[in-house]
Amino acid sequence: MTRYIVQRLILLFFVLLGISVITFTMMHLVPGTPADVMLGEHATDEKVARFRKAYGLDDPILIQYLRYLSKIARGDFGRSVRTNFLVTEELAQRLPATVELTLGAMFVACLIGIPAGILAAYHHNSFFDLITMIGSLIGVSMPVFWLGLVLSYIFGFRLHLLPPSARLTVGVELPTITEVYNLRAIFTGSFGNKIIALSDFLSNFYIFTALVTGNPEAFIDALKHLILPSLALGTIPMANIARMTRSSLLEVLGQDYIRTARAKGLSERVVILVHALKNAFLPIITVIGLLLGGLLSGAILTETIFSWPGMGRLIVDRVLARDYPAVQGGVMVTALLFVCINLLVDVSYAYLDPRIRYE
Amino acid sequence: MSLAELKESSVTFQLEKRAPTSLWRDAIRRLLRNKLAIVGMVILGVFLLCALFAPLIAPHDPLEQRLVLRRQPPSRQYPFGLDDLGRDILSRVIFGAQLSLRVGVLSVSLAIIFGTLLGLVSGYLGGWADNLIMRLMDIALAFPAMLLAIAIVAILGPGLMNMLIAIALVSIPTYARLVRAQVLSVKAQDYILAARAIGVTHSRILFRNILPNSITPIIVQGTLGIASAILDAAGLSFLGLGAQPPTPEWGAMLGEGRFSMFTAPHIIIFPGLAIMLTVLGFNLLGDGLRDALDPRLRM
Repeated sequence: MTRYIVQRLILLFFVLLGISVITFTMMHLVPGTPADVMLGEHATDEKVARFRKAYGLDDPILIQYLRYLSKIARGDFGRSVRTNFLVTEELAQRLPATVELTLGAMFVACLIGIPAGILAAYHHNSFFDLITMIGSLIGVSMPVFWLGLVLSYIFGFRLHLLPPSARLTVGVELPTITEVYNLRAIFTGSFGNKIIALSDFLSNFYIFTALVTGNPEAFIDALKHLILPSLALGTIPMANIARMTRSSLLEVLGQDYIRTARAKGLSERVVILVHALKNAFLPIITVIGLLLGGLLSGAILTETIFSWPGMGRLIVDRVLARDYPAVQGGVMVTALLFVCINLLVDVSYAYLDPRIRYE
Repeated sequence: MSLAELKESSVTFQLEKRAPTSLWRDAIRRLLRNKLAIVGMVILGVFLLCALFAPLIAPHDPLEQRLVLRRQPPSRQYPFGLDDLGRDILSRVIFGAQLSLRVGVLSVSLAIIFGTLLGLVSGYLGGWADNLIMRLMDIALAFPAMLLAIAIVAILGPGLMNMLIAIALVSIPTYARLVRAQVLSVKAQDYILAARAIGVTHSRILFRNILPNSITPIIVQGTLGIASAILDAAGLSFLGLGAQPPTPEWGAMLGEGRFSMFTAPHIIIFPGLAIMLTVLGFNLLGDGLRDALDPRLRM
C-alpha cells in the first residue's frame, strides 16, 4: 500500500512537470510573440525590447522554462495582463467558488441518484425502474450548459424561485472570517500574515464562512444561489450514480447471503438497506470518485451560464482576452486539483476494499 | 431459451445444416433485437438524413436575416421560430446536423487512428517505448478533458478546425490505452506465437492478426466517443472557442441566443434538444453495440 502511494506520488511529480510544460509552451506557441500578445500590435520597438528584457524573453528557452518552473513552485504566476492583479490572488478568490460548486453538485447528485437507484433496484422491472433508467439515459446525454440555461429560465426567470446568477445577492453582507474575529489584531508578524492569508482564502467559501461567522442571512442566500448551478452540474453524475447504484445493488441482491437474510425473516427494507447496500457501495463510491474529477470539466460551462466567479469562468474569459498568465495559472491549479482528487479517490478505494492489492 | 424454442432449434438442426454465422452477422442480429439500440439508430438516421440532404430539407436559407421578424416565436411558416437576427431556427438546426456529425465523426476517427497506432506500438513492443507512451497518456489524462481542449484551443486559436483537433487530441489516450490492453491480451494467444514461429513479420502480425482482434472494443468506445465529442464540441462553441458566428452550429446557436432567452426562450430550446437527441442516439447505439459485440462486457 505504502509502495503504491509512493509510486503514485512519483507519477504525480511527472504529471505536474508535464502540466507545467504544457502551460509554458502555451505561452510560446500562441501566434505572435508574447510581446505582441501582451503589448498589442502597435507597440514601439523600444517598448517591445524593454518588455523582452523585463520578462527574460531573450534567454535560451530552457533557462526560461526553469525560471518559470521555479516561480510557479513558489506559487508565483505573475500578474494578469487584463486586471493587473496577482494571478495567485485571483486564483485564491476563485478556487473556493469552484470547489463549492463541485461539492454542491456532487451532493445533489448523490442525494437524488442513490435513492433513485435503490428504488429502481428494489422495484426491478417495474414502471419506476423503467422511468429511472430512461431518465438516467437522458441525463447522461444532456448538455450541461443547455440544462443550465433551461433551469435558470424556468426557476430563475419564470417562477422567481431561485436566483439565476452570482454567489450572493447584491446588498447581502458577508464579512470575512478575518474581519469578524478581528484576526489582524490577534496575529501579527510574518507567521500571523500567513494565518490571515489562510483565513482570507477560507472566507471565499461563502457557505462555510457564513456558518463559521454565524451569519444566517448570508448562509441562506449563498445556499439559494448554489442550488441551480449544482442541479445543472449534478445531473450527469446523478444519472451515472443512479445507474451504478441500481446495477450494483441488483448484482448483490442475487447472492446467497441475501437469500439467507431473507430466509431469516428479515424485512425487505433491512435486507436492502443494511445487508445489500453495504456491499453494493464500493462500485458506487468508485463511480462517485471518478465523476468528481469529471465535474471540473462541467464546472467550466456551468460557471459561464450562472455567472459563477470560479476557475472555469476565469480560464474561459481570459483565453478569449488572451490573458496568458491568468490562463496558465488557472489551468495549472485546476489540473492540480484534478490530479489530487484522482489520487485521493484511488488511495481511499484501496483502503475501502481490502481485496484490492496494488502491485 | 424456453424448452419449446430449444426443441424447435434442435429439430431444425437435424433437418438442415445451418450455415455458420459470422461474428458480424451475429452481432447485427443481436443489435436488431435491442429496442433501445433501434431507437438510437432511428434518431441518428433522422439526423443523418438532415445532414446529408440539408439544402433540400431546410425550408429557408440558414444565414438569411429577416431583421423585421427577429425573435418571432414558432409559427406555421417558421416552425421553430426565428433567432436574434431573424434567421430561421429550423433551417439552422438542420444545417447544424451536418457540422455536429462531421465534427463528432472526424475528431473520433482522428483520435482512433492515432490512439490505435500508439496503443499497437506500445502494447506490441513493450519496454521503454511502452513506458514512454503510456506515461505521456497518463499526463494527458491528468487534465480534465474540457480544460485540456480549452488549453489547446488557447494555443491554436478559436475556430471549428482547431476545436476539432483539440477534441481529437484529448481523446487519443482513451483509445491508446484500450488498444494496448487488447494487444497485450491477444499477444499472449497461441496463434500469435504460431505466426511468429513460422516467420511472419512484425508489421503483418500487428495489422493482420492483432488489430482485427482488437476492433470490437474500438467500435463500441468510438460510438460512445462520438457522443461525448459532440457534447464537447457544442460546449466549446457555446463558449465562443469553436465554430464562429454565423455558422449554424448548435452550441454556437445556444451561445448567441442565451442573452435573449428571457424574451424568446424558443431560441435556445431547439438547438439544445438537437444536441441532446443526437448524443442520446449515439449513447443508445453504443450501449447496444457493446451488448451485441461482446455480451461479456454487459454491465
